[in-house]
Amino acid sequence: MTDIIIPNLGNEISEAEITEWLVGAGEEVEEGEVVLLISTTKTALEIEAPVSGKISQINFSEGDLVQVGDVVGQIE
Amino acid sequence: MPKNIPIDPIKTFSKSVLKSSGIPVHQYQKSIQEELKIYGKENLIELLRHMYIVREFETMLNSFKTKGSYKNIEYIYNGPAHLSIGQEAAAVGSAFALKTEDKIFGSHRSHGEMIAKGLSAINSLSRNKINSIMETHHDGKLISYIHKNFNNTEFNDAEMFLLIGVLAEIFMRELGFNKGMGGSMHAFFTPFGAFPNNAIVGGSSGIAVGAALHAHLKQNKSICVANLGDGSTGCGLVWEAMNFAAMGQYKNLWPKPFNNNPPMLFCFMNNFYAMGGQTLGETMSWDRLSRIASGVNPEQLHAETVNGSDPLSVADAVIRKRKILLEGNGPALLDIECYRFSGHSTTDTNAYRSREEIKHWKSFDPIELYSQKLLDADIINKKNLDNIIEKVQNQIELLTSKVVDRELTPSIDIAKKPTIIGDFTFNKEVNRISKTADDLLMDINQVNQIKNMKKKSRYGKTSDGSLLSGMRAITLRDSLAEAIIYHLSNDKSLIAYGEECRDWGGAFGVYRGFADIIPMNRLFNAPISEAAIVSTAIGYAISGGRAIIELMYSDFIGRAGDEIFNQLAKWQAMSAGELRLPIVLRASIGSKYGAQHSQDWSSLLTHIPGLSIVYPATPYDAKGLIATSLKSNDPTIFFESQRLYDKVEVFNEKGVPEEYYTIPIGKAVKRKKGRDITILTIGASLYPALDASEELINYKIDAEVIDARSLVPFDYDMLISSVNLTGRLLIVSEAVERGSFSNTIATNISRFAFNNLKAPAIVIGAPNWIAPGADMEKTYSPQSDDILDSVFRDFFPEKRVNKKGLRKDWNFLELAKKGF
Repeated sequence: MTDIIIPNLGNEISEAEITEWLVGAGEEVEEGEVVLLISTTKTALEIEAPVSGKISQINFSEGDLVQVGDVVGQIE
Repeated sequence: MPKNIPIDPIKTFSKSVLKSSGIPVHQYQKSIQEELKIYGKENLIELLRHMYIVREFETMLNSFKTKGSYKNIEYIYNGPAHLSIGQEAAAVGSAFALKTEDKIFGSHRSHGEMIAKGLSAINSLSRNKINSIMETHHDGKLISYIHKNFNNTEFNDAEMFLLIGVLAEIFMRELGFNKGMGGSMHAFFTPFGAFPNNAIVGGSSGIAVGAALHAHLKQNKSICVANLGDGSTGCGLVWEAMNFAAMGQYKNLWPKPFNNNPPMLFCFMNNFYAMGGQTLGETMSWDRLSRIASGVNPEQLHAETVNGSDPLSVADAVIRKRKILLEGNGPALLDIECYRFSGHSTTDTNAYRSREEIKHWKSFDPIELYSQKLLDADIINKKNLDNIIEKVQNQIELLTSKVVDRELTPSIDIAKKPTIIGDFTFNKEVNRISKTADDLLMDINQVNQIKNMKKKSRYGKTSDGSLLSGMRAITLRDSLAEAIIYHLSNDKSLIAYGEECRDWGGAFGVYRGFADIIPMNRLFNAPISEAAIVSTAIGYAISGGRAIIELMYSDFIGRAGDEIFNQLAKWQAMSAGELRLPIVLRASIGSKYGAQHSQDWSSLLTHIPGLSIVYPATPYDAKGLIATSLKSNDPTIFFESQRLYDKVEVFNEKGVPEEYYTIPIGKAVKRKKGRDITILTIGASLYPALDASEELINYKIDAEVIDARSLVPFDYDMLISSVNLTGRLLIVSEAVERGSFSNTIATNISRFAFNNLKAPAIVIGAPNWIAPGADMEKTYSPQSDDILDSVFRDFFPEKRVNKKGLRKDWNFLELAKKGF
């Protein structure tokens, strides 16, 4: 089980909004594939799958606010 | 970082050899007969006459400087005289090839270039146009003077207008082209295409590139020329400017019809000496100045070395380069080799060159050579030549005799108008936003980043008073974006640039989404060339445009030191208000990145007269103040704290209005009313000061908190009335304490509100050492506890409160004695 984590977003930025999940729970993903779009007050970012596998869990929905370090989903 | 220019590793690492196509050196070979066919006899003789005018003009100045007299005229001239005796062919040949609408920018040694350009313009312009120029310049005062004093003379009044405009400027008289505020090294007269000369070596290079950018965006088929010295090839700005004019993006990325390079000619008047340092062989690495072009682009800037002792060789080269530039294939570089017989200045004793060398070059005197050429070809005869020389000498003698006369041609009477130089410094004009932008790539309201802003709350608190996230309410970053995109999407004359300004949206995201709206020719990534970023904006602005530029971190102001301190701040006053510099320079005050990225340099810039300085701390103020700055015709430095970009609006209960609005620069704002002490804050210090003021309530101290919002001009009225009531003043900013603007305010309040002060005004800033890294940063910028400690120690010692801040036990006098 591997966590999908909100990375450090740069100087003076601590939170982000989930813009769009590009994959749904149960879908297979490749390591490095963009699975999630988030936006901060400063910019938009693409989050990649840290490993290959199946999305087993999605913890936040589109429009939710998340903090740096939050586990937004899991891959198994 | 355009995605359509991929960097291919295979291509990158493939074996190859970079080739140079060679740089022509002294290839000019036209005979005088060929030139006669091109120019005609009259023009060839006129060219000679212009050289004599320049020579006699400079000889006159030399004579005043060295002997205190010229012919029978006695006069002590106290200003500088960097003369170009010996370089006349370069100045006149170049001017002959240029059109009136072409702009030249000069150096400290540019009297000759300016006179030559003016003479050439007078020969090209219609009489009606010349009359209109002379009648409108300074309300016709100079031309009236000429008609009054030289009415029955044989001399052309337009030539007298030009020569007296220049000489009176050099002699610092009110009739000078810039009312004597520029003087010898800063003279100019734009209607003849003679743009500012510059006393800072290389200073014209970037300014001229900015003017070329303006010509390019206007597509007005004229070129810009920076006349520089050989010594300027050692200056960073010159290299930055050459690169800026040659950047790949114009051809690779800019939209039609702007997908060409700006029409920019770097003209090096190479006299081999940079004051007393010999460029060739001593201070520079090049063997021929033109070689530097091979380091700039594959076209080698179309560089050539040409013979500056022959005006026709120079004119031939300038004509050919002008054609290349107008075809969009610039920039170009000319290395015009010439020799100044006069010293660097009139105190020059020629310690660095031999008599033999000077003597040898005398046989290459451009005027002697060219006169002989015309005589040999029977284009002129000896008698006519002597007549020309005599008439030129009479002309210079006559006009000089009037200009030296202080009664007839006075300087501005500073004693009578003691603040007039201040009046020239700021024009205080407010520009009406023109609705000219017909070039938008997309409707603003369709751009995601803008749409997201529209979803946010305008106020930063919920109905129950809790604070909203910057993801849910308009931040200071958003409010800046709203005002800037309003200006950019309305006013086509406004351009925006800086490092990472386009695709990245600015390092701090203020411009995110703008690349979808504004075409690349008005919003582009600049090279890491802070000096050129500022310098080009100046050239763009004095040509009639408007610019908002970004230096990313205010710590990088040092990289653009001369351009901010000596150019941006000074040209309005040095032109007696003739030039306008509607430029907004955005600079952020950093955090967490240590000593070279975390300095508040707002104080540093207040020390330089000539800049409006604004530093908002709230989203509402940021939007209104950047809008005012963009409407202003004065140069404005706009500071932004990186710590505040995500701040939401908590002061103005109606939030940040969605519609456009302005806030006057020079008005402070009261954030909290109080009667026991006034705490004035600059920029980000507002927030710890407010925290401290809340804490003070527990000790029955009612603090008034005033947010300065702008430093130049500063709202003394509000502060004085507050201090008159409270009797106590504490000033808090993140600038280092020593020499800070806070100290200036403290001193002024000690004078203006002395009778009501119960204690001396106190300043808290950053300590006089480097900003440490992120984890130690709170030891550097004043915190709420530091403010509380000062309030108790310096104003209310009777309260006997335990001090909590890092500075609680500091012996400030001992620190000061040690240099801190």
